[in-house]
Amino acid sequence: MDRSLKTRLDARLGALLREPVYQRNDETEIRVDPGNVPEVLTILHDAVDLRFEILADLAGVDTGEVMQVVYHLWSPKSSDWLRVIADGLSREDPRAPSATFLWTGAEWLEREAYDMFGIIFEGNRDLRRIFMPADYTSFPLRKDFLLPDDAARSPGAGVRHVERSQAPATVADDPSAGIRRAPVS
Amino acid sequence: MRPALFSFLKGLPRGAWDRTTLWDRLLVLVIVLLVGGAVTTIPALIFGGPPALDFAGANLPFFRFLAAATGILVLTIPTAFVIIYLELKVIARMNLRVGPNRVGPWGAAMSVIHGLKVLTKEDFAPTGADVGVFTMAPVITFLASVMTLLVIPFAPGIFGQDLNLGLLYFFAMGGLTVLGLLLAGWSSFNKYSILGGLRSAAQIISYEIPLTLSVVGIILLTGTMSLNHIVGAQSGSALDWFAFKQPLALVIFFIAATAEANRTPFDMTEADSEIVAGFATEYSGMRFGFFFFAEYVNVFIVSALAATLFFGGWTAPFNWPWAMNLNAFNPYSLGFFGWAGVILVGGFLGAQLMAVLIRLVGGRDWNWWGAMTLGSLVVAVLAIGALGLAAFIAFDWVRGLTWFMAKTYFFVFVFIWMRATLPRVRVDQLMGFAWKWLLPAALLNLFVTATVIVLVNR
Amino acid sequence: MPERPASARRRPAAPTAQTADSTASSAAAPDSAQYASLDDVSSAQYASLDDPRVMLDRDIGADLFEPIPPFPTTTERESEFYSLRDGEMFLNLGPHHPATHGVLRLVMKLSGEQIVDVDPVLGYLHRGVEKICENSDYYHVIDQVDPLEYLSSLFQEWAAVLPFEKLMDVQVPRRAEYIRVLTGELLRISSHTLFQGFLALDLGGLAPILYSFIERDEIVEMLASLTGARMLFNYYRIGGVNGDLNHEFMSRLGDWMSRALKQTEANATLLNGNEIFARRTRGVGVLDRDTALRYGVTGGNLRASGVPFDVRRAHPYSIYPELEFNIPTREEGDSLARYLIRLDEIRESIRIIDQCLHNMPDGPIMAKLPRLLRPRPGRAWAAVESPRGMLGTYAISDGSDQPFRFRIHDPSLLNLEVASTLLPGNLLADTMAIVSSLDPVMGGIDK
Repeated sequence: MDRSLKTRLDARLGALLREPVYQRNDETEIRVDPGNVPEVLTILHDAVDLRFEILADLAGVDTGEVMQVVYHLWSPKSSDWLRVIADGLSREDPRAPSATFLWTGAEWLEREAYDMFGIIFEGNRDLRRIFMPADYTSFPLRKDFLLPDDAARSPGAGVRHVERSQAPATVADDPSAGIRRAPVS
Repeated sequence: MRPALFSFLKGLPRGAWDRTTLWDRLLVLVIVLLVGGAVTTIPALIFGGPPALDFAGANLPFFRFLAAATGILVLTIPTAFVIIYLELKVIARMNLRVGPNRVGPWGAAMSVIHGLKVLTKEDFAPTGADVGVFTMAPVITFLASVMTLLVIPFAPGIFGQDLNLGLLYFFAMGGLTVLGLLLAGWSSFNKYSILGGLRSAAQIISYEIPLTLSVVGIILLTGTMSLNHIVGAQSGSALDWFAFKQPLALVIFFIAATAEANRTPFDMTEADSEIVAGFATEYSGMRFGFFFFAEYVNVFIVSALAATLFFGGWTAPFNWPWAMNLNAFNPYSLGFFGWAGVILVGGFLGAQLMAVLIRLVGGRDWNWWGAMTLGSLVVAVLAIGALGLAAFIAFDWVRGLTWFMAKTYFFVFVFIWMRATLPRVRVDQLMGFAWKWLLPAALLNLFVTATVIVLVNR
Repeated sequence: MPERPASARRRPAAPTAQTADSTASSAAAPDSAQYASLDDVSSAQYASLDDPRVMLDRDIGADLFEPIPPFPTTTERESEFYSLRDGEMFLNLGPHHPATHGVLRLVMKLSGEQIVDVDPVLGYLHRGVEKICENSDYYHVIDQVDPLEYLSSLFQEWAAVLPFEKLMDVQVPRRAEYIRVLTGELLRISSHTLFQGFLALDLGGLAPILYSFIERDEIVEMLASLTGARMLFNYYRIGGVNGDLNHEFMSRLGDWMSRALKQTEANATLLNGNEIFARRTRGVGVLDRDTALRYGVTGGNLRASGVPFDVRRAHPYSIYPELEFNIPTREEGDSLARYLIRLDEIRESIRIIDQCLHNMPDGPIMAKLPRLLRPRPGRAWAAVESPRGMLGTYAISDGSDQPFRFRIHDPSLLNLEVASTLLPGNLLADTMAIVSSLDPVMGGIDK
């Protein structure tokens, strides 16, 4: 728990924080608005007493109500990990500024967040899917992702598999096929 | 089996062929071949035999050449088999593995299995490939390697042709492999293949120049390009070998030959960690088998050439100290029954003796049958060894062939050794090495040799 | 083979008139109409090459041999990459390749043998581990997270277990910590030895990989006698480890330690003095300090570029503060430095194992925890130093027995990303030297 880090962060970032700096064990957490992310990250990276130069992680989070982008940073000047949560992205149209101006490596991490959540990072030159195929239409790690719906939407829907040549091909053909529910006993 | 045979004899009712078994079908095939063969061959021999013999007698060199070419074509396959097996085993041992040890004694039949495997694979060409060229490319590569064997003297009296341009012919034929590799790369309709083909063409062409220049020193020393004469110039003792008179040429030759044969560390063309299999990416089955054989035949021929040019070919490193004629012992004096008696009685007695010895040494673990079997085997091996030794002592071609093969296979072992241990040289470093180091070194060797010859002759 | 001009690139088709019974949910998706026979397939337009209706080459024609996706480029970087200038061609170092470290697809733009640009395509091994972990309980998470970097799976388990221990505020017993460090360092040595072998194999040397596997086999057999498995160990638990050291493990470890250092030196001599190897790796793929920091590269790759960042010293966890070891650093940043630094790390790991063995305390190996694990609601992040770099995990718990969000940050992802900067300008043959020296494991990258 690095108390001096809290004072330094309050001094540098005071107005930009949505909530007070939260510290527990060896982690310090700050929450910012998505629009302020470039400024905050620049200050964290460049300020002489902060110097959070190593980007440890960039992740997307879907809390069920809002989406977040979570950055983890490390600095030689502090014994704590710093977690920056860009909070309050809407679930219908999540947009956040890109961190690629500071760390080029964030490009792929943002691609992954886009692929899994649909978060559009403005300023990322290469925002396309990274793990899923390029024409995939769902965002798997969202909390409203349901696998059978995704299967019905995929290009493979409607194809009769070789092994089950007599079975109906789509859910529409066979009303009893589709989502299997376990018998409740 | 029997009902099917009878139904066949009754006159082919419908479905009879489907009910035949494999043995039936083989029997039918054998019968057809025998009958047909007899019907065609016997009249041909009766009526055409004597004129054919007259013709052959009149054109003996031509038929000698035909026999030599056939012999070479036929003998490359076993040679390739042996070298493939050697490579698998030696590399395995160097990697602390065992290598093939299931098929045949110590896995020796592995090559045969590989051969059968490539023969039984599906024959297809990739879509978009130029099928004619695709098929001809491995043939060209293989034949180019094989044709070089025509001039190599295996033993005194055992050679294909004694061309007085033997060395030039060798390098000319060896250079044809480029054609095959380029055609293979181009016709496969695959970018990896093109890259591999172009790399190989560049590599082989670049290394041909130091290769040929390095042996010009030998040509200067002997004044001839005929390989037989070059070997003859080294007869005497080991100190006459050109390895001691042209050491730099030996080194250059060996390195350039490794590159010519596309062997590690110069096997960029088939670098299987970068461009999958280079020019041979799209090849499978017997077409790939041809490339495969061509590579190992290449290894054999450059080893053979190294042995011939620098290490005396079939000459022995030292002269036998005693006179070598066994004329006192005339093998015909025994006659057929004599020899039969010697083999059977002597073999039997020898096996019994061996069995007794085995029982004495091995103890009660060995029962008589096992001991006698092992004893017979040991006697057979000893008898063959004795026969071989007699042949070695009596016939100079046996001696020459043995020495030649020993030297050649030593170099083959060195090639395999290099493959097991060395990583690959990058393609631009490869080319740089050829043009910037080997070529000047070969020229230097040439100038020094010429200077020394002129000075010595003065 | 002829290069298709850019204008001939296929576009994804507008739905054709055949969509007689398209399913209700296909507003943006390609039409899923049924075809009367396979002949009808050929006359339709396809949306993507992954469409399973695309089955026969001859129905499609030769212009789909181009391995580059035919749909229009969407991003700036994509259009910059997929436009060819004069003399350039695409070469696909595909997912099926003898030497990419797993299923990695590198689409390379070549001008002759020189690489102009490279676009790695990932996702061939994507298994949805993060999503599965959201539906698993905490024991299952350890299982799921093992096969990420399968060559060093204990580190994945460690990284998975640490944030949950923070969320449950549980104190791991000292003996368990020592066992974790001991087994972790053993696996680090094994992974680095394998790295040597794979690097040599990709460069053409067939022998060192087998020597590496001999080393790895010894270590992995040791760990098998301890954990029960040779590769995916499933050994660490929240609050400790699953099973104490036993006699067989200790005797094997003792045997191995008595020869470890000599064996390492012997294995090093296979390649260190080899001129061909040195020429292939020296000065190839130089990663300078600033690029490494900007890309977020960690691990041996970062330390070979001169930045002495090691999570064990930068943010110590477990009992590393009590152990004495150095952080080897090299300045050159080329492939040879990345190779040599891992040799140095093996030596340091042997030192650490030595200290662990000497100072191993007695005590329990598992903290007292309820069977049903319910951490407090909250967020926790932890990072460990895996052989490839900083492996971090971010866990969000909602108080239930399943993690709400489990994020794994794998070091190999950013290590591979830097390859797209290092490769251009080098020859095709250097691809292997560079990518192998970065030591990516596709399981971790694709999750």
